[in-house]
Amino acid sequence: MVWRTELMKNRHLFRCALSVLLSAAVLFSSGCKAAPSEKPIGAPVALHPPLGLPPVPIPPNNPPTKETIALGRRLFYDPRLSKDNTLACSSCHLPTTDFSDTVSLSRGVGTAIGIRNAPTLINTAYLPLQFWDGRAPSLEKQAVIPMENPIEMNQPHELALSKLKQDPTYRRMFREAFGTEDISLGRTENALASFERTILSGNSAFDRFQYGGDKNALTPQQLRGLVVFMTPNKGNCAACHTITPQYALFTDGKFHNLGEGADDEGTFKDLGRFSQTRIEADKGSFKTPTLRNIARTAPYMHDGSLQTLRQVVDFYAGQGNSNPYLDKDMKTIHLTGQDREDLVEFLKSLTGELPPNVGPPGKE
Amino acid sequence: MSFFTHRGFRGFALSCIASALLVAGCSKKAEQPAATPSQPAVSYYKVDPGTAATLTGTVYYKGKAPARKLIDITEDPACVEAHKGKAYDESLMVGKGGALENAFIYIKTGLEGKNFETPTETVVIDQQGCWFHPHIFGVQTNQPVKIVNSDPVTHNIHPVAAVNREWNHSQGPGDAPLNRKFPNPEVMIPVKCNIHSWMRSYIGVLDHPYFAVSKADGTFSLPNLPPGTYTVAIWQEKLGTQEQQITIAPQQHATVDFTYKGK
Repeated sequence: MVWRTELMKNRHLFRCALSVLLSAAVLFSSGCKAAPSEKPIGAPVALHPPLGLPPVPIPPNNPPTKETIALGRRLFYDPRLSKDNTLACSSCHLPTTDFSDTVSLSRGVGTAIGIRNAPTLINTAYLPLQFWDGRAPSLEKQAVIPMENPIEMNQPHELALSKLKQDPTYRRMFREAFGTEDISLGRTENALASFERTILSGNSAFDRFQYGGDKNALTPQQLRGLVVFMTPNKGNCAACHTITPQYALFTDGKFHNLGEGADDEGTFKDLGRFSQTRIEADKGSFKTPTLRNIARTAPYMHDGSLQTLRQVVDFYAGQGNSNPYLDKDMKTIHLTGQDREDLVEFLKSLTGELPPNVGPPGKE
Repeated sequence: MSFFTHRGFRGFALSCIASALLVAGCSKKAEQPAATPSQPAVSYYKVDPGTAATLTGTVYYKGKAPARKLIDITEDPACVEAHKGKAYDESLMVGKGGALENAFIYIKTGLEGKNFETPTETVVIDQQGCWFHPHIFGVQTNQPVKIVNSDPVTHNIHPVAAVNREWNHSQGPGDAPLNRKFPNPEVMIPVKCNIHSWMRSYIGVLDHPYFAVSKADGTFSLPNLPPGTYTVAIWQEKLGTQEQQITIAPQQHATVDFTYKGK
């Protein structure tokens, strides 16, 4: 009896050891194959935001390096990331119009037309959530979503990566950035995000006035417009397009309903933030966009329906479109004709400089 | 308010469809059309042409006709340019012989129980020269109302309704017309523009076709009226309301005049 029990015990131990070994081997081999390290190997580069901006938030596992930024820049301008090799990220986020589009709704591959206006990428590094509806929790996660979207670049990630793998320059750049020639989605995400973190704009006339001590940086009309912008029962703009004593992002990064896109029944074809949260009150809410360089990023609103800054200011002056989910701050807006003219002039003072190395890369 | 009504109705319609489907699934012979609740068999009241009467009248203003007031629209220079000419106040328009224009006359009581068909023709309200055209008008309940912006500026039309749903909507230059309806009788709904404070219009909504706006000569006409006893009411934006009782015989050409005393 005793002997038999010992044997059974041993057999049980043996089986346990075997299964542990086997599963470890499976884990090890699959781990090696599918997930090359996504951590940049180069020395982290310090990003220097211009006047008026706070330090750039950097995720600990993706510090920007010279190599990842260069790689991300090449990817950003590469049309091979689209199905028919016609559209790059830069096709809708054009560097010539401050990384936004000039049309209301952007064109996708073939005859596809998007449903929303391409937002500027300027200072998008500061936003906690990406996209008009906030469906991406980071720049990394955002970067590759339009590649697969049928109404945008419309190409499966595997196909995009296989195209990149055929290019020796990419194999070299991925090796320089991440240590091996592996071209993976995670590495692509990280490189694109690091490049986008460098698209910073500040040091506008407003910044020089507000943070640079230059009291003559704004015209008297722009100064009046700034007061209208800040005053709660006038423009009330700063309620969402925030300005702090230290810096100004001109966005709270949150979601608000202005009634833009409400139809004749007061309902929304594009439900915006609601599509992510399923919270009734989020219907028709969209992320507050930054106002930096706004004079250069027409048309406006999430659907690109307003063509001029004057139309945008007038839209607010009319308190938007009524609907059951309208943001309460819309009701407090009261703008005279003069206020509206002053506001438009103030908005023109928010145009800042772009960094030198964000345009299309030179031939490598 | 009508959001909830609307949604409630949709919910009701859906549940009806669901139950109709259930019924159809259980017993095969009951083929009730699911759309019944949204298309009730309504019989509309038809006026008998053999007895139809006509009510006409004139609206007068007794007293010194006030000088027309100029309205300052210089706040929006684009409006000044679009208005083409001076902007005169339309709230009290007195013509020759004290004829009062732009009063709203309607049958207030006496038509109860009669269900009149909704006209299909669209009533247009145009925003032109930063001004509502027309200034005073009537529609039947649920009659299509088309709101047009002919101006090079943005407007934000806002019917300040009390019985119907109050709403406002932005309309930029070149934007598509808005198509709206007013489901409940309401005399009058003031209409404003949230951007241009001087813009004003008034809509009278009735569940029958017997309403009119007095013309420049003060006259109005309510044709094809069934004989009966009625309260005829008048509304004028500055001078208020009046009422008169009248019994109208078959085929009668009846007359009711209204007079407002000036201050």
